[in-house]
Parts: sequence; structure tokens; C-alpha cells
Amino acid sequence: MSTIEAPPNGRHSMGKSMKRKEDARFVAGKGRYIDDIVLPNMLYMAIVHSAYPHARIVKIDKDAALATPGVLAVITADDLAGVGLAWIPTFHGYDKQMVLAVGKVLYQYQEVAAVIATSRAAAADGVELVEVEYEQLEPVVDPFVAKTDKTLVREDRENKTNHIYHWEVGKREETTAAIQGSDVKINERVWFQRCHPAPLEPCGCVADMNPATGTLTLYMTSQAPHAHRTVVSLVTGIPEDKIHVISPDIGGGFGNKVPVYAGYVCAAVASIVTGHPVKWIETRTENLTTTGFARDYHMDVEIGATKEGKVTGLKVTTVADHGAFDAAADPTKYPAGMFGICTGSYDFPIAFTELDAYFTNKAPGGVAYRCSFRVTEASYAIERGMDMLALAVGIDPAELRLKNFVRKEQFPYASPLGFVYDSGDYHTTFNKALEKIGYKELRKEQAEKRERGELMGIGISTFTEVVGAGPSKHFDIMGIKMFDSAEIRIHPTGSGIVRTGTKSQGQGHETTWAQIVAEELGLDPQTLLVEEGDTDTAPYGLGTYASRSTPVAGAALAMAARRVREKARNIAAHVMEAPLDDVEWVDYKFQVKGVPEKTVTMKEIAFAAYTNPGPNEPGLEATYYYDPPNLTFPYGAYIAVVDVDKETGETKVRRFLAIDDCGTVINPMIVEGQIHGGLTEGFAIAFMQEIAYDEQGNNLQPNFTEYLVPTSLESPHWETDSTCNPSPHHPIGAKGVGESPNVGSPAAFVNAVMDALKPLGIKSIDMPLTRDKVWRAIQEAKKA
Amino acid sequence: MNLSWQGHEDVGAPFGALWAFINDPDSVANCVPDLIEAVVQDARHFEATVKVGVGPVKGKLKLKIELEPQADGKRMNLKISGGGLGSVVDLMAGADIKDNGDSTTSLDWSGTATMRGAIASVAGRVIDAQALRVITTTFANVRERCNSSSG
Repeated sequence: MSTIEAPPNGRHSMGKSMKRKEDARFVAGKGRYIDDIVLPNMLYMAIVHSAYPHARIVKIDKDAALATPGVLAVITADDLAGVGLAWIPTFHGYDKQMVLAVGKVLYQYQEVAAVIATSRAAAADGVELVEVEYEQLEPVVDPFVAKTDKTLVREDRENKTNHIYHWEVGKREETTAAIQGSDVKINERVWFQRCHPAPLEPCGCVADMNPATGTLTLYMTSQAPHAHRTVVSLVTGIPEDKIHVISPDIGGGFGNKVPVYAGYVCAAVASIVTGHPVKWIETRTENLTTTGFARDYHMDVEIGATKEGKVTGLKVTTVADHGAFDAAADPTKYPAGMFGICTGSYDFPIAFTELDAYFTNKAPGGVAYRCSFRVTEASYAIERGMDMLALAVGIDPAELRLKNFVRKEQFPYASPLGFVYDSGDYHTTFNKALEKIGYKELRKEQAEKRERGELMGIGISTFTEVVGAGPSKHFDIMGIKMFDSAEIRIHPTGSGIVRTGTKSQGQGHETTWAQIVAEELGLDPQTLLVEEGDTDTAPYGLGTYASRSTPVAGAALAMAARRVREKARNIAAHVMEAPLDDVEWVDYKFQVKGVPEKTVTMKEIAFAAYTNPGPNEPGLEATYYYDPPNLTFPYGAYIAVVDVDKETGETKVRRFLAIDDCGTVINPMIVEGQIHGGLTEGFAIAFMQEIAYDEQGNNLQPNFTEYLVPTSLESPHWETDSTCNPSPHHPIGAKGVGESPNVGSPAAFVNAVMDALKPLGIKSIDMPLTRDKVWRAIQEAKKA
Repeated sequence: MNLSWQGHEDVGAPFGALWAFINDPDSVANCVPDLIEAVVQDARHFEATVKVGVGPVKGKLKLKIELEPQADGKRMNLKISGGGLGSVVDLMAGADIKDNGDSTTSLDWSGTATMRGAIASVAGRVIDAQALRVITTTFANVRERCNSSSG
């Protein structure tokens, strides 16, 4: 049973744990994913990758591959240059990226050639026979080495430097002075390691150019089908009306399926040239080694405080490793995403943050892996910093947080780095967490265990997210404003179809979108079909990532439904023969004011809209494009309890409590499922996952043997609960939740392990906290 | 990934026999374990296709091998480079050969290798031992075949 229950509100459809409508087909194995799509005369594509991280391409010999039975073509960068597609713009348009390696390879596993064949096996055989001669170059894999410009990654750029950009926000001098003048100061480097969203379904597409109509249909694993259609049109010159993007069922995205990858472009070119549909499906290794990674921020966190623990200033200085291209998935005006949320839940009087990004010989990326743009990195920095500050001040980390939270009466709260937090009650949420987990008792138990030499830790993370990109005055991607859209069409019998510009990858939109519309219109959510991912039918929207669906498209749905309701009110006035001003919406029905027995349901009005609309325009449908006035700020209080075996370094997460406040809850069961999933990913990041490279640029985690994904066997038991502070500017008060647990949990885990190791004098270990790393830290501490 | 190894073999054959053996690409090629095919190109060069099975990485590597006898007649270097399975291998090996004066010969060998790609990453934890096995076996085969041909 769900523990995330919305407060009793007598609601029609929202706030109820309705079972997911989409699961009927998923549990029956009837989902339709990219690889299920088989078209007549379809060809297959496989990609040749570089084993070198940095090398000049001397020669590509296609002959042996082309002699392989079934192989029809081998595409290289030279071929793509012929059609102007050797390079394409990166996500925000500030850089360009190679589709296939042009002249040299810049990271291991980079795409060098694409083999087109009549079968998947023939394509794979062809890949083995493409001979590429390389001249090795020195790789640069450390951003701090990249800073020296001794080895240049990108010779193609005008500026002969590995430095990509500098970004800053806040008041540098005043912040530095405030920290320097403080009683207590901390300055610690924390690294959020390079990790990968690793969706269980890798990326893929079927490109189908119809020579008769000139229409290119792209079935693709896309979190943002409309944006992809526009990008394809812009880079190929194919008119947008001749491009049809269909994103079918998606087996997880987590930000990984936002960028445009080489496989999509090559498959489209191959289909255009051959006149056949061309399928490309990534292998696991290709997904982990070439598609968008996440994080890889080295953050120096400086905090000043009074001797009582009241914070006086925050400065975060970051070196970002962007890999070979500046392909970070961030809105145009936010090259470091929303990292300015690094002041977290705390009332810093002043703050400053700056970031410098560098090219290295690693795969490009920087996607918003189950978080709003760069918010997980920011949250980790401040939550680790607050624990280090508590240590320096000499007070309990819970007490330090309670002293410094933004107070309820301060909302809407203008942070020193430019955000206006919409709502929250951090003290109430955190106190609920402390009480529920039995914080005082746990500290007592910990003291007793420490007496016995046992290592027990309690870790806290009280994070604030910033999601729902975003208001058009600030947020765009390649110039396209980050609004979203909804279209609702109610049929004569009261069922209907709902379409949005978003695309579910497991979030449960087919259920929650129906619940929002049903709530607004008093209809049965089971009879509302939700359709997304088809650019020929859905209204234009920017897609699903960075927790933007509910804050933006969810709002569009509510507003579109209200337009439907207003039209229905006109029809109701006609049907009930009452003046329009006397018709009101009461208890999910239209009623004549003062005559409670004279009512008509939305279902009845739907029929009338097509049979007896009176003077009104027939039909019952509406579209709404929602431009949010502000971002939303979900938050939470997470507490982890761990035991560390000092002989083996093994950490056991004994308890983990997550209290989330995501405003109005649409479906408590789905929210709880989202939290379980995000916590499991956070657990994996904290303890298992890193895309590591050795000094020669070898990617050391190219499959699930090395890059571990926890199952239920390894995952802790999750305790969940909630508070509810609705967003005041969102039509239904919702804030978004899918990414909060991934944002908030890594710091709770790490703070817990560091708390356990505190008696040994260990202050910091970089994630992932594998037993090997923890054991080594314990051994070194013992020696010291 | 950089690897290095060294070892020693006592060969029950005279210096001349061993020197002749290791200067013959055909003979050396047939000492490589898990050999699928060897194509001798000239007196100093041959290509070998070998079966590889390291951890989850299984398949074939195509290697170009060059014999480099040193002018003093006491050392043979081998330069090996090639790839497959999305990997590349560059290996330099060498053997110092010493005439023991009793119709036996000592062979002190060493090698260093750089590996990139799937072999380095996927099989990184076990590649060192596997590579050592291949090299040890190669030189052990050299010893055995020289022993039997002179015995």
C-alpha cells in the first residue's frame, strides 16, 4: 500500500492510486518498442567504433567489408560531408559535433563508419572487416591536465584551447569577503563522478524515407520527438512537414534519449540513399560508451559560518569535464544548467558560483540524468558541504540544517543566485523525517556502537530541486521556447483523447494525464486515451526530461481542460435553458445556481456538443500552450542509516527514509514508484557506478558486467512519506517528483558513510563508495 | 592499459639450432597458442589470426608480427600489432639468448604491451594473467620444439 497519500480532498480523480493504464500491455509483453518495428525490405545498420581515444585517421579501407555477403554500403564522414552532414550542432547550439569521425577520433568507441546490410548479422560481420589505419595521438583524460592545453583535443575549433567556457553567477568579491570574515570556514573538493543513465532499452531508430512521397518517417527512441523533428529539418534541409517522428514505447530514458546521436543521422542518410527502411539498434556497450553521460563535476565548496553555525556565505568553483564535444544538454542561456540551485534549502545571505568547462578525450554528454539540468551536482555539493560544515562547527548536522533553512514565511524566497523558490516548509518536512526515523534514538545507538568500536552512520540530505523548464523569457533550446502543450478532444459518448508534447518513458503519463483531465472535467479517467510521441498528431512540445512534464505539460492539460469546461458551460446553459451566468461547476457537474436538482454531467454535455449544441460551435475540444510563469521547487528530507564493516569495507544500508514534498500529488502510487526508482539509481551512483577511464583513455565500464545496475536483491528497503506544499503558480499545484530521489539521495548515502567513518578521522571519499575504496580508506586511517 | 612480463627458459638445444628456429617465421608462428591461421609474408614478417577468450570477450585477433634479430646475434625482438573485437594491441617482446657451452641455451625474455578497447576494459581484471599465459606458452613451445628437434 502506498505511503504517499494525498490529503483527503474529496477529489474526483486526482490524488488517487489508480493503477497504471499502460501496464496492461507492458506486463503482457505487448509493449511496442523500436526493435519491435519491422518494415518490408528493411536494412540494418551497425557501427564501426574506434579503439583509440585520440588518433588521426590515416585510411579507412571498406573493400573487405563491401565484399561481405549482404553488405550494401559503408558510410564514412567523407560520404556524410557530401550531403552536408559530417557535423551537426550540439544540443544548445554552441558547439558542433562529428557524426562520424572527421580526420581524427576524439574518444574511445567514437563512431568511425556505418555498415548497411541486408541483415543484422551481415552488418556486424561488415563492421569487423572495415579496416581503419590510425596514427596514435596523446590522449588527455583529466580535465585538470586539459587546462594546460598541452594536448589539444579540438583542432577544428578557432580557439586553440581545451577551455570551452566560463560561467558565473552571484557576487564574487562580497561572497569571498563574507567567507573570509567568518568564524568558521570550510573549503573541500567534492567530485560527482561521471556516470551514465543506462536505460535498459538502448537507443535506436528505424529511418524510412518514402521515395514516392518524399516523407522521412523516423521511429526513434526520443524523449523529445518535436524537438528532434525540428533539428532534423534544420540540419538536413528536409521541410518539417516531410519529417514524421514517432517515438513508440520507450524502455527508460533518464535524459539519455534527449540528444541526437550518430546512429540516427546515419540511418536517415542510409534510408534516403537506398530508398529502404534502415534499422539501427545500439548494443549495451555502444550505449554506455558513446551516448550522453551525466555529471563529471569537480566542485570546490567553500562555506562560511558563525561559531554557532549560522551560514554567512557560499562559493562553489567547478571544473566540468565535457568530453570531446560541448554536447551538454542544457538550455541555451544556461550552459551550466541550473547549478545556481547550489544554495539548496538554506538561507545564505550571499553566494557566488563559477564554472569552467573543458574538452577531454572522453565521450561527450552532460545530460540531465534523472534530474533537472545539473541540479544533482549542485545538490550533492551543498549537502556534502553542510555536513562538512557541521563537523567544523562541532554541531549535529540536523541541528545545523534546522538553523539555516529558509523559513516558511520567507516564501516566495529569492535566492542569492537568482531563483525565486515558489513554496515550501522545510522545517516541518525535516522534523517529520527526524521523528519518523527516530533520529535521537539512532544517535544514542550510534554512540553506544562507537563505544564498542562499531561503525554506524546517519546521513542527511535536505535538498531543494528546481524543475519545470521553463518560462519562455529565460528558457529555450536552440531558440525554441520551453513551453509545452496539450490537446483534449471529448467524443460524443464522453470518452476522449488527450495529446501532449511530452513523451513518457515509464513515468505513467497515460494514467496521470488522464487523471488530471478527468479531475477537471468530471469524466472517467479510464475512458480518456492519452497519446504522445507522434509529431503528426500531438501538439508541439519540448518533451519529457528534467522533471518538466508535470510542471509544464501537466499545467497545459489542466488549462486545456478548463477551456473545454468553459465551452461545455455554454452548451450546458443551452441544454438547461438557463442564463450562462447562472451556470456553475459544482461537484464535477454543471448546476443552475440555487437549483441543486437541475444539473447536467460533462458526459451529457459531450453528447449535446455533437447533437444539440444550440447556438454554440459544435464539438468539444481545446488546445493550450502553457508558458510557465516560474519554475517549481520540489524538495525533500532524506535520511540514511548505514553500518560499515571495518574489516571488509562493506556498507549495509540499514534504513533509508525519504520524505518528499512535490506539491499536489496526482497519483500517490505512481509517485511512490518514481521515488523507489530514483532512490535505487541514487543508491547505485553512491555505491557502484562510475564511467571511469584509465590514463590511456580506455573506457573501463563498457557493459553491465562492469557498470553495475542494482536489482531488488542489492537495493535497500525504501521508507517513504510526504508533506504537501502546493506550487502557488501551477494550475493544480503540482511540482514534479520523478527526479527528486536521484537528486537528493546520493548525498544522504555518502554523508551516512562519512558519519560512520568519522571516529577514524576520514572526512571524504569520492563516489562510488565501493567496499574496496572504503576498506582502503580505513586501512590508511589506521596507519595514520 | 600497459602490461609487462618477463621469464626464462632453458632450452636443451645448441645456440645455433635455437637461433635458426626463432629466425623462421613458420616455426615461431606455430608456437603461438590458439593459432587459427598464420600467413608468412617474408623472412621477417607474418600475420597470425588467433583465438581470444578473455572473460566475456571472445573472438579473433588479427596480428601483424615482425621478427627483428639484433646485429650481435644474441637477441631477437618481436614487434606485434593488431586488433579485432573493437580492440587494438601493440606488443614489444624480446629474448636474450645465451650459449651455455654445453649444447644448451638460455633464453631470457621480456615484453611490454599496450591494449586498448574491449580487451582492456572488459577483460581488464584478467587480461594480465591471460596475456602472461599466452607469452609463457609461446616460449615454452619454442623450448619444447627445439628440444625435440635436437633430441
